[in-house]
Amino acid sequence: MSGPALRPLEEPLVVLEGVSKIYPRVNRPGERLRAFVALLAGREPRDGALVLDDISLEVRAGESLGIIGENGAGKSTLLKILTGVISPSRGQARSNARMAALLELGAGFQPEFSGLDNVRMKGALLGMSPREIDDNLDQILEFASIGEYIYEPVKHYSSGMVVRLGFAVVTASNPQLLITDEVLAVGDESFQKKCVRWLERFLADGNTLLMVSHSMYLVQKLCRKALWIHQGKAREYGEVFDVTQSYLAWHESRNAFERNQRNQETGDSGLYRLESFRFSEGVEGREHAIRQGEPLQVELKLYSPDGRAPAGLVGIVRADGTPIYGVASEVEGVVPRRVDDSHFALSIRFESLPLLPGNYAIHGHAMDPEGMRLCDTAELRFRVRGESRELGFVRLEHRWITED
Amino acid sequence: MSSGIFTQLVLRAIRSDYLNNLSGFAWLILQPLMLLAVYAFVFTSIFKARIPELEPSAFVPFLAVAFWPWTAFSESVLRASNVVTANAALIGKVAFPTELLPLSVVTATFLMHTAGYLAVLIVLQLTGTEIHWFGLLPAAIILVFLYLFAAALALIFSALHVFVRDLGQMLPPLMTFWFFMSPILYSPSLLPDGLASLVRWNPIAWFVGRLRDALMFDGFSPAWSDLIVPAAVLLLGLLALGFFRRMSGHFEDFL
Repeated sequence: MSGPALRPLEEPLVVLEGVSKIYPRVNRPGERLRAFVALLAGREPRDGALVLDDISLEVRAGESLGIIGENGAGKSTLLKILTGVISPSRGQARSNARMAALLELGAGFQPEFSGLDNVRMKGALLGMSPREIDDNLDQILEFASIGEYIYEPVKHYSSGMVVRLGFAVVTASNPQLLITDEVLAVGDESFQKKCVRWLERFLADGNTLLMVSHSMYLVQKLCRKALWIHQGKAREYGEVFDVTQSYLAWHESRNAFERNQRNQETGDSGLYRLESFRFSEGVEGREHAIRQGEPLQVELKLYSPDGRAPAGLVGIVRADGTPIYGVASEVEGVVPRRVDDSHFALSIRFESLPLLPGNYAIHGHAMDPEGMRLCDTAELRFRVRGESRELGFVRLEHRWITED
Repeated sequence: MSSGIFTQLVLRAIRSDYLNNLSGFAWLILQPLMLLAVYAFVFTSIFKARIPELEPSAFVPFLAVAFWPWTAFSESVLRASNVVTANAALIGKVAFPTELLPLSVVTATFLMHTAGYLAVLIVLQLTGTEIHWFGLLPAAIILVFLYLFAAALALIFSALHVFVRDLGQMLPPLMTFWFFMSPILYSPSLLPDGLASLVRWNPIAWFVGRLRDALMFDGFSPAWSDLIVPAAVLLLGLLALGFFRRMSGHFEDFL
């Protein structure tokens, strides 16, 4: 086998071409037999669960790809096809790499045998020769740091110890392509960090990573590209920040939708109305997007039935409805500009919006002149783009201090 | 690369199936010896079985020479038949050549029983039976083909068992039937004409007959079956491997 450096860049390590997977229904013996006959005849199972639908993918040496999606979206099935554990029902899957797949860290461990015996087995399953295993044994034991327990049967191990030992063998097996399925979530904090450090080194050495994770933090930290699988289909593929942001936005808006359903009853009605509410820049009907730190300006047109100037309230919420910031014109002593007898106008400008990348909504409200009652509400959605690795949703002014 | 996995799987099978307690190896020899004693008692004292060509005292060695290879054969096929289903967790999680699972079980079983077979041959020699030790070489070749035959059946049955679970219940009685349909407890010359021609189609008859020829008798008159059976075993082995590999990508759907 040639090393990763010798491989021409054009040749992908992993190729999926129009891969679909149908799990046949095999709950009753009759169904099993029918599915088996279909298999023998080379036919697709007549009825079954379509878990993956026409996925194509190429992964080149040195790439890092995160696969994200809801539970049951088909991520694990995709990894199983990539590793060759299962065959696709349609399409083709090819790979040519010294591959280590970690679909489950403890897989291949026999509880009755000692840790050492299991290390030998696991190493062999990962393609290591007995000599390689012996040469790397010290390194493995050090990485796993389970001490004398290595001579105990694995059934006496804690789940964390099993995970540590499993990952330790992988680090020693020197793979070109590592495929992991949400395995780092099992270990404790310090072991997770150790693994992430190892993975970063692994990637820096020009190796390739394919990982499934529900932790957008990990995906953004380790992967440069991401694939969002939704109900068996590839919904979005591209740069990791774009894909994870739309995935999170989708989650947030779905949560918000559910909440809205509940809040239908609390609709507001009143005398003072919001005639229009729009962004001062940007094209009507198109998703409004700004880059992190850019200004945001919205315009409110208010209607007043009695000629008195209503108050305006503007609030920014996350796409799931979590409030971030809100302010009323009346509180700051601002009076809207009179357009005619019953119409007033007001704009608010955030000079450099400190929101972190993600999807948000800005709410505009018309209030009575006393700022006591909320009379009308409108919502505009917008998106903040960027590659920030900060956490939360707002950048707070700060500086680091390193001197005494 | 996969040879490492194979070695580990064989070692694991030997340790968990035979050597997980100290007396494991002793039982490996004792158990068939006791079974042999039971058969010897039943067939020499109750049924007064005779081998027409031999003296009455030769019945036990006649049985023993064929009984051990049969035990290795049937035990390995039966053990291997559910090895894929038993390792469902491994198969769904680790990518490796799955055919190594049944093959390792067959290999471990044959290794263990070959050791027992040698021990029994020595016991027979010590108790006054003349064993033709020069026959060990042809016997070894015959055993290799018996091993390949078992491996082929193990591949087929272990793959089938994933899809047809009833196989687990069907195989043991079928194996017992096969045992009695093979000239292990009796000489083929005792069979009525109709059955004798039927038993000639049983490959096990060729295996036990040739083993007896090699180890107990001097004569080894070549026959067409000496070519046909090994060739058929090789062909079956290739077909079985192809079948297993074609099915193995779908195991996970059914496990």
